[in-house]
Amino acid sequence: MGSSSGQPEFDYLFKVLLIGDSGVGKSSLLLSFTSNTFDDLSPTIGVDFKVKYLTIGEKKLKLAIWDTAGQERFRTLTSSYYRGAQGIIMVYDVTRRDTFTNLSDIWAKEIDLYSTNQDCIKMLVGNKVDKESERAVTKKEGIDFAREYGCLFLECSAKTRVNVEQCFEELVHKILETPSLTAEGSSGGKKNIFKQNPAQTSSASSSYCCSS
Amino acid sequence: MASTSRPNPLEEDDDAEEEVQHFDDFTLASSWERFISDIEATCRQWLADGPKNLVEKGAVAVEDSKNLFKVKYDLKNVAKSYCMEFYFQIDNNGSQQAGIGNWNSNSHDLQLCFGVKDFLLIAPQSASGVLLDSPESSKLLSSVAIALSNCASLWPAFVPVHDPSRKAYIGIQNMGTVFTRRFEADRINSQVPVKLMHLEGLYELFVSKFVYSGVDFSMHNFKVHFMMRLTYQTFPYEEDEENDMDELMGDKTDTAEHYGSESRNKLHWDDDCPWSEWYSAEDPLRGFELVVTCADKTVENTLEMAELENASPHEAEKWILHPILSPYLGDPSHGNRIDFSSQLLCVVEALDMSFTAQFMEDFVSGENPGSENLKTSVVIPPPTVLDRVIKDLFHEGSKLPDFTKGEHRLSRALKAAPLESLFTQFCLHSLWFGNCNIRAIASLWIEFVREVRWCWEESQPLPKMPVDGSIDLSTCLIYQKLHLLAICIEKKREMNEEFLDCIGSEDSSDASVSVEEHQKVDKRRNTSSEADLQRKRDSSIAEDTSNRLRFERKTESTNSVNQSPTHAIRRGSAGPAGTMMLLKSHQRLHAPFTQDPPLMTEDMHEERLQAVEAFGDSLNVPGQLEKDILLSDMSAFKAANPDAVFEDFIRWHSPGDWDSSEPEAAEPSGGSITEGSKDKWPPRGRLSQRMSDQGNLWRKSWNDAPALPADDQKPLLDPNREGEKILHYLETVRPHQLLEQMVCTAFRGSADTLNQTNFGDMKQMTSKLEQLYLITKSTLGALQRNNLPDRAETIKDLRRLCVVFEHVEKLVTVAASLHRKFLDASRLAQVIFSDFYGIYVPLMGINSNDEENKSRTEMEVGRQEVTPRERQVVSNLFSPPSANQSWRKVLSMGNLLNGHEPILREIIFSTGDDVNNGIHYAAAADVAATSDRRREEIETHRMYVSGTSNDLRVALSVTSCD
Repeated sequence: MGSSSGQPEFDYLFKVLLIGDSGVGKSSLLLSFTSNTFDDLSPTIGVDFKVKYLTIGEKKLKLAIWDTAGQERFRTLTSSYYRGAQGIIMVYDVTRRDTFTNLSDIWAKEIDLYSTNQDCIKMLVGNKVDKESERAVTKKEGIDFAREYGCLFLECSAKTRVNVEQCFEELVHKILETPSLTAEGSSGGKKNIFKQNPAQTSSASSSYCCSS
Repeated sequence: MASTSRPNPLEEDDDAEEEVQHFDDFTLASSWERFISDIEATCRQWLADGPKNLVEKGAVAVEDSKNLFKVKYDLKNVAKSYCMEFYFQIDNNGSQQAGIGNWNSNSHDLQLCFGVKDFLLIAPQSASGVLLDSPESSKLLSSVAIALSNCASLWPAFVPVHDPSRKAYIGIQNMGTVFTRRFEADRINSQVPVKLMHLEGLYELFVSKFVYSGVDFSMHNFKVHFMMRLTYQTFPYEEDEENDMDELMGDKTDTAEHYGSESRNKLHWDDDCPWSEWYSAEDPLRGFELVVTCADKTVENTLEMAELENASPHEAEKWILHPILSPYLGDPSHGNRIDFSSQLLCVVEALDMSFTAQFMEDFVSGENPGSENLKTSVVIPPPTVLDRVIKDLFHEGSKLPDFTKGEHRLSRALKAAPLESLFTQFCLHSLWFGNCNIRAIASLWIEFVREVRWCWEESQPLPKMPVDGSIDLSTCLIYQKLHLLAICIEKKREMNEEFLDCIGSEDSSDASVSVEEHQKVDKRRNTSSEADLQRKRDSSIAEDTSNRLRFERKTESTNSVNQSPTHAIRRGSAGPAGTMMLLKSHQRLHAPFTQDPPLMTEDMHEERLQAVEAFGDSLNVPGQLEKDILLSDMSAFKAANPDAVFEDFIRWHSPGDWDSSEPEAAEPSGGSITEGSKDKWPPRGRLSQRMSDQGNLWRKSWNDAPALPADDQKPLLDPNREGEKILHYLETVRPHQLLEQMVCTAFRGSADTLNQTNFGDMKQMTSKLEQLYLITKSTLGALQRNNLPDRAETIKDLRRLCVVFEHVEKLVTVAASLHRKFLDASRLAQVIFSDFYGIYVPLMGINSNDEENKSRTEMEVGRQEVTPRERQVVSNLFSPPSANQSWRKVLSMGNLLNGHEPILREIIFSTGDDVNNGIHYAAAADVAATSDRRREEIETHRMYVSGTSNDLRVALSVTSCD
């Protein structure tokens, strides 16, 4: 099974997925985050991913960030990567309106279809704010969309690295605040309802029973 | 002693009250007098305290009653000691006499018998608790009466007489100055005279108590009030007729004990419930008791009584239904009951054992280090059973099941497999295989894998598995593997068929596949991008592997679209892609058939992840697989569009990377090809910046890609290799890895099975099931990871989960049983279930928490009033007795319900007399209150009759003016 041996050197492993139309800058965003560089990258072929270690508070985190290709042809291929993701980042290009409208037409539907994790944190990111003059989608529209779909929202630029760090960090914070997600991603200790001390267990299990 | 005992203490009452009220000179007192004053003092104390204070001081609530309490006092008289008890009622709604009006089922026996509310009961503290001779009891009663009148109390007092089984009492009540009530009760518990079996006879018995003897009752009319309550009970669902009859004949109070006797329901009430495929549950509802109350009637003569006896219970005023629950519901210890939860516990124990060995085979051979723990109880079922299970798994029903069957909204949150899939069925079978011990599981697993291998070697489709779709990573690994294996087998079959088609009858299929493989590799290597070469090759390929399907595709596309014969022949085209045209040749752009992206199970994903981590970005490992796919797409595109250039491919594959400078002309979905667009050909446009970069991977790939239709390409997924890898996994899986997946899958399978139960619209049940899924998810989350952090703790949690499962399972059974019994009266089913839920659920928390606390709890649900509309449904519960049942029982009473005789008939006769003839006493108000009659009238005679044709109790109270 290729299991890693020994105790892992991180507290949590979170899987994050980047989706959005072709050419909105998903790979650039990822590269900007993981290696602090910006390049005009070749289009992603299928799926790519990068690993980034973060320390937030006392917790050591390992982020496996999956970068998917936006092309339609790769969509069936990428669908399997939605499962088990604790965070999904939807990226659009603020200078191309169609990449924004496709979010509701295509990408939000893909999430509903393939993500089984109900608590999974969604984030909306408008990329390429450095091209302010070419802006085609206002910040307000982005906020409205995020409110409707219950996402986090941020505008950033992979090129100037504005808000790039914040974008991933905010997502991770939100994941850490969600107990069911941290339980999944936890590397060592497990957490479940029986684990608490006995006195609490009775109230816990009875509240399971009584709440309706 | 004898001197103080007055022959007729009632005569003294009035005087005593007036004159000796504060008499406390004990100088001349005899022991009897001291005894009386002892009683008196106690009663004064109780009177002074009043009910509220008594409750605060620790009065005990009488069982089964919400508002009846009693206090106790022990008395001593020379040789004997007595116990005096005071029963009192605390009513929220003022003065309401028990027994009359609201025929309260909670009433105390004596309250019912004599129509009283608060009372004193004095009994000797002997073993039997009864005064054996009448003189002694009347002496005792007299003493109490004196004491009570001394303290001006109007409480009735009762004293038991004779043998306890007779339930005989005498009693007396001072009702003010003039009236005294006397009570008397007795019982015949065998050989009831025929006359007293019928209502006429009982009526005459009552009338005889106040009419002079010698009067012919049938000739005169005597107005009496009459109330009747009938209790019916369904036949217990038991085979044992003896037991059956006993219960029917038995006294009402005894039936509860009869129900305790263990006997399994052999009628299989649950035959169409989803769990019946695996086990048969005992009906949680043992039966029903129906209490029918007839309105207060005034009866004038015997004839009317006879009519009443024939009246149908349907005409009665009130129906109260009382469901009788099976005692197993309150029994937290499993005993020998078998259901999902009991078997799930077994598989959890097996998981605990599984850590002791390296391979499943070790458990069967019995020579592994853990085998000392495997005692004789760990048996493997005989081969016949094994064969039957394997047959059931692999050979029953070839059609694909509905994989969403039984699926709950939260099912997929569990890392398991769909209910109807091969692996879930294997897990559910192993729950019932032997006693689900690790050895039985191991032997079943080995046989299971052997059968899977046979399917693989023989290219037989894997049953109960889909042969298409993508791998669902939310399922357990074995399911993913079996799914991929099923797909590999399917691909292998396709390839074999293809090959056999052209070779005809050649040797084994394995050889043919490899031969074909070689050919393909050859082809790939030799292919050049030159058109003429291609054409040549094309013809040869067409001869080589004459895949009819592909041939058809090809001819179709060439005929319909390729207008110009001079152009290269398209291969593997799926038809034109909209109205797009190739940039260079001005031909229609065709979309090619492409290979499906290769499927991966979660461990394959994990391997890739680790490879990336190990090599970093330097080797570009992650992109390799996707590059293969891209290359495959490019090859197929080139084959379908021989004249295509890279830009054409990008326009089709990644339209975003084609910047068109003339939006109208280059619009691919522009509808029909207009003349204008042709004129403007070629459209102006260019590749996006990132696509046209130097060293762009896409262009590199394009240059490397040979023109090959998808069918001729090397498959992205090698079914032979992948299939063999999967079988290797199945054959060498670590026991604990297998068991972890089995535990999860068995839990989901069991929950999904219960989830299919039809219990109508019971909201508590729906949310309970949802909670079960959530709690299961959270507990199973520890399993199927790379390492189990704390094995002992996890096993403990799983055992607790089994207890939770057991509770939900019981609830589901109750809900299902109620639902099917009250299909047309869902309201009743719901209120009964709510009631049960209300009692049961609080117990769940206690029992699931503490394993030591295995005490049995009596489960008793409340009585429900049946609305007139629901009566038919309820009456249908009382199925007419079978011939067998009816011939043994001589029907001797009337008021039959579907041929069921009441198991208990209670009647209250009463008659009143006008007392409004000028006499007004201080106690008149009390009299009115206690007698429950209109103020002018006082109840003079009251008779309570209860029983059946062979057991009769009569209690009489007579008020007289002494």
